[in-house]
Amino acid sequence: MLIMRHELLLVAILVILLLVEIFLPEKHKHRIIPLAIILMGVVTALGFIPGPTGSLFGGMYSTSNLVLIMKNILNIGTLVIFIQSAEWLKKDENREKISEYFIVLLSSLIGMFYMISSGDFLMFYLGLELATIPVAAAAAFERFKEKSAEAGVKLIFMSALSSGILLYGISMIYGTIGTMYFQDVAPKFTGSSLQVIAFIFFFAGMAFKISLVPFHLWAADVYEGAPINVTSYLSVVSKGAAVFILMILLYTVFTKIALMWRDVVYIIAILTMTVGNLFAMRQRNIKRFLAFSSISQAGFILLGIIGQSQLGMTTVIYFVLIYLFSNLGAFGVATAISNKTGKETIDDYDGFYRTNPLLSLAMMLSLFSLAGIPPLAGFFGKFFLFTAAAKQGLFILIVIAVLNTIISLYYYLLVIKAMFLNKSDQPIAYFKSDFYTRLGLLICSAGIIIIGFASPIYEWILQLSHGLIY
Amino acid sequence: MTNYQFMFFLLSAIIIIFSILTVTTRRILRAATFLLFVLVATAGLYFMLRFNFLAAIQLTLYAGGIVVLIIFSVLLTSHISQKLEKASISKRILAAIAAIAGAVLCIITILATEFPTVTPNPPETDIHTIGQALLSTDKFGYSLPFEVISILLLAAMIGSIIIAKKRKD
Amino acid sequence: MGYSRYDFTPLLHSIDQWLYSVMSPAWALIVELTLIGLAFLIFYALVGLFLVYAERKVCGFIQNRVGPNRVGKYGIFQTIADFIKLLMKELIGTKDADKLLYNIAPYIVIICSFMAIGAIPFAQGLLAIDFDIGILYIISVSSLSVIGVLLAGWSSNSKYPLIGAMRSGAQIISYELSVGLSLLTIIVLAGTMQFSKIVMAQENGWFIFKGHIPAIIAFILYVIASTAETNRGPFDLAEAESELTAGYHTEYSGIKFAFFYLAEYMNMFIVASIAATVFLGGWMPLHIPAWNGFNVVMDYIPPVIWYFMKTAFVIYIIMLFKWTFPRLRIDHLLTLEWKYLLPINLVNILFMALIVLLGWHF
Repeated sequence: MLIMRHELLLVAILVILLLVEIFLPEKHKHRIIPLAIILMGVVTALGFIPGPTGSLFGGMYSTSNLVLIMKNILNIGTLVIFIQSAEWLKKDENREKISEYFIVLLSSLIGMFYMISSGDFLMFYLGLELATIPVAAAAAFERFKEKSAEAGVKLIFMSALSSGILLYGISMIYGTIGTMYFQDVAPKFTGSSLQVIAFIFFFAGMAFKISLVPFHLWAADVYEGAPINVTSYLSVVSKGAAVFILMILLYTVFTKIALMWRDVVYIIAILTMTVGNLFAMRQRNIKRFLAFSSISQAGFILLGIIGQSQLGMTTVIYFVLIYLFSNLGAFGVATAISNKTGKETIDDYDGFYRTNPLLSLAMMLSLFSLAGIPPLAGFFGKFFLFTAAAKQGLFILIVIAVLNTIISLYYYLLVIKAMFLNKSDQPIAYFKSDFYTRLGLLICSAGIIIIGFASPIYEWILQLSHGLIY
Repeated sequence: MTNYQFMFFLLSAIIIIFSILTVTTRRILRAATFLLFVLVATAGLYFMLRFNFLAAIQLTLYAGGIVVLIIFSVLLTSHISQKLEKASISKRILAAIAAIAGAVLCIITILATEFPTVTPNPPETDIHTIGQALLSTDKFGYSLPFEVISILLLAAMIGSIIIAKKRKD
Repeated sequence: MGYSRYDFTPLLHSIDQWLYSVMSPAWALIVELTLIGLAFLIFYALVGLFLVYAERKVCGFIQNRVGPNRVGKYGIFQTIADFIKLLMKELIGTKDADKLLYNIAPYIVIICSFMAIGAIPFAQGLLAIDFDIGILYIISVSSLSVIGVLLAGWSSNSKYPLIGAMRSGAQIISYELSVGLSLLTIIVLAGTMQFSKIVMAQENGWFIFKGHIPAIIAFILYVIASTAETNRGPFDLAEAESELTAGYHTEYSGIKFAFFYLAEYMNMFIVASIAATVFLGGWMPLHIPAWNGFNVVMDYIPPVIWYFMKTAFVIYIIMLFKWTFPRLRIDHLLTLEWKYLLPINLVNILFMALIVLLGWHF
C-alpha cells in the first residue's frame, strides 16, 4: 500500500473532486479551485515524507528513491500549474468545467506516475496513454476557439500515431523475447536485427511524445492552440516524465545495445537543439516561442542521457527540476498577461517593464535561467549536462551544444529587450495580479534562485541515483 | 495443404487485401467497412490459435465497438457524396515507396529472426485461467493494469464531457 | 438420467466417422461444414416463415381479429405466399447510393444472426460449436449486426433510413450492455459460459428457480433489453412507420428487404433461445429435486420439444410486449436504459454474487 502512496493519494483527490463536483451547488462551483490547490499542496507535501520503496504486483510496479524524487518534482510542477490556472478558470466561459479540468490533469499525472514506476511494457504503455489522452481533452478545453479544438485533435492524432509506432516496437520485443517485464527483457535484449528495428520503432514513438526533431512538427500548433496552462503542463510535466522514463528504459532495458542507441541519441540531440533554436528565433507568438525553446531544451536533456552514467542520470533529473521552475515561471507571466489583456505576441511586450516591473523581473529571471546565465539555476543545469557528456569524451557534441546555448541566449534576450528597452506607444497597462498568480511566480522564482545556490539538492539526487543502473 | 493451412492463408489474404483497400479507398465509410473485415479476419486467426476468449473480445471490442464508433461518427459528420481528396502523384509515390520499403525491411528481418518457440500445441486457454490471471497480483497477474484501465476510462469519459459540455448563454 | 435416451451425440458421431471413412479428411470436413450450413439454412427458412405467421396470429389475437385465414387452412400458407411475392419483386435502389455498402449491408445483418445461432444447443449433442466462451461469443457476434443496420441507413442516401439507422444504432449499443450484464448475472451463478455446461447445471432445477430473486430480476431485465436490442416494439423507433416510413430499410426492396426482415425475426428467435437456455434450462426437462416420479415422466418428453416450447414461450412474451405497449420516445428509451436498467443490473450482479458467496441459492 505505502509503496504506491503517490498514486493512491492522487486517486483520492480525484475521487474527492468528483464527489464535490456532484454535491456542490452550482453557485459555489468556484470554490473547487482553492480546494483542488490545497489538496494538491497537501499531496505534494506528503510525497516528501520518506517511505518504503520496492516492487509490487510481481514486478509490474516498482519504485526507488530516484523515482520518488521524480514524482515529487512532477507533483510540484502540477501544483504550480494548478495555482497558475486559477485565475483563468474563474473566467465565465470556463466556470462550468472547473472540476473537470482538475480531474483531467490529475488523471494524466496518475498516468505519468504509473509510467515512470512501471516494471513492464504493459504498465508503461497504459501509463503513457493515461498520461496523454486526458491532456488532449484539456487541450481542447476552450473548444469554442478554433485553435484550441484543433490543438486537441492534433494532439490526439499524434499521440495515437506515436502509440501505434511504439506498440509495434513493443510487440516486436515481445515476439523476440516472450515476456514484457523489464527485468526479464533486459538480459535477453541482445540486439538481433529484429530487436534493433523494434528499438527504433520504440524510440521513434517516444520521440514523438517528447517532440524531438524530426518528430516535433505537431508541437508548435498544439502548444499554440491549447490553453496556456495546458501548454505549460505539456511542455514541462509531460515532457519531464517522458524523458525520465525514456532514460530509465535506455539505461536498464536497452543497456546491451547502448553503443547503438548512443549514436541515435547523439544525432537526435544535435538536430533537436539546432532545429528547435532556429525555429524559436522566428516566432512572434509567445506560446510558440516557448514551445520551440522547450523543444531545444529537450535536446539538451538528451546530452545527459548520452552521459550514460550515474552522473548523467543525476544531471537529467536536476535539469528537469530546474527547467520546470524556469519554464513555469515564463509561462506564469505569459498566463497573467494573456488573462488580463489577451495579448500573446512578443511585440506586445514592448515597454512592459515600465508598467509592470515585478512581472517583467520574474519573466527575466525565468528566461535567464532557461538561457543558462550564472548564477541562476539554469546555468548549473546546463553545466552539469555538459560535464556528463564531457566525461564520455563527446567534445564535438558539447561544442555544438554551447553554440546552441549562445543562439538561445540571443532569442531569450530578444524578449527581455522588448520588455526592458523597447519603447511602445501603447504598452500593456498596469494591472494588479491576483493572489494565485503571485504565489505561482513566487514559487518559481524562489526555485530558480534557491536551486542555483543550494548544492545539497544536487548532492542528494546524486546519492539516490546510486545503484539504479543494473 | 491441410485445411488448417488453407484457412490460415485465406484469413491472411483477407487481412492483407482489405487492409490495403482500407487505406486506398476514397470513401470514408467504405474504409471503415473494410477495416471491419480486417478485424473480423483477425478474430478468425485467434480462433484458429484456439484463443477463443481473445477472439470473442476482438469481435466485441474492435468489430462491435470501435468500428461501430467510427461508423457512428462518420454518420454524424459526413455526407454520402463526400469523397476524400486525391493525393498528388508525387505524394502517392513517396508514400508507396516509404510503405513498401518499411514493409520489406520488417518482413526480411522477421523472416531472418528465430523466435523462441513455446510448446508446439499449447492447450486451450480456458476462461477460468484468464479470469484468475486478470485478478491476480503476482507475476503474470494483471490486476494492476485492470485497475489503471478503469482510471483511464474515467478520465476519457470526463475528457469527453469537457469537449461535449454545452456552453450556457 | 432418463433424458439422455434422446442424446444426439452417438448419431452425429457415427455420421462423422462414416464420412471420414469414405473420403479424405479434407473432403470430409468440407462435406460436414456444407451439411451443417444447409441444415441451418433450412432451419432458418422454416423458423422465419413460422415466426412471421405466429406474429400475425398473436397480433390478431390481441387486437381481437382473426389474422391471416385465406391462404390455406387457417392461413398457414400466407407467409409462403408473401415470401414468393418478395422474391419476385424488382430490386430498386436509390440514386447515388453507395452501391457496394448498400448491397453488403443485408448480408452483414444476416451473417451475424447466422453466426450466433451456431452456438445454441437445441438438444443434447445437437449444436454446431460448443465453446467455453459460448455466451460471450453470442454477445460478441450479435454486437456486429448493428454495423449492417448503420451501413444500410447511410448507404441508402436518403434521410429516413439515416435517422432510423442512427436511432437503432444508439439503441442497440446501449441495450447491449443490459443484455450482457443480465446474462453475466447468471454466469456468476453458473460459474461457466459454456452452453452445454450451463444446461447440464440446470439438471436439478432451472436457473430462474435456483437463483430466485436476482435471477428473476435478471430474466425480466433480459427480456426488456433484448427486445430493445432486436429493435422490436415497443422499442421499434428505428422503423417507426408514422415518422420514418420503415427506418433503415426503407430503400430496400425484394429479397434484400426480406433479408432484413428475416434477420429481425431470427434475432428474436436467437434472443428467445438464449433466454430459454440460460434462464429456463434449455433443452433440460423440468426437474424438481426429490420428485423422482415426476422427473421420470418429464424425461420422456424429448429435449427438442422442451427447447422449442420454452423458446416459443419467450417469443410469445416478446410478441405480447410488442402489441401491448405503445412506442417509446427516443430520449425516454435511452433514459430507461442508462438511468434504470443499467444501475439495476449492476446492483443485481452484486446481489447475485453475494447470494452465491453465502450459498443462498438452491
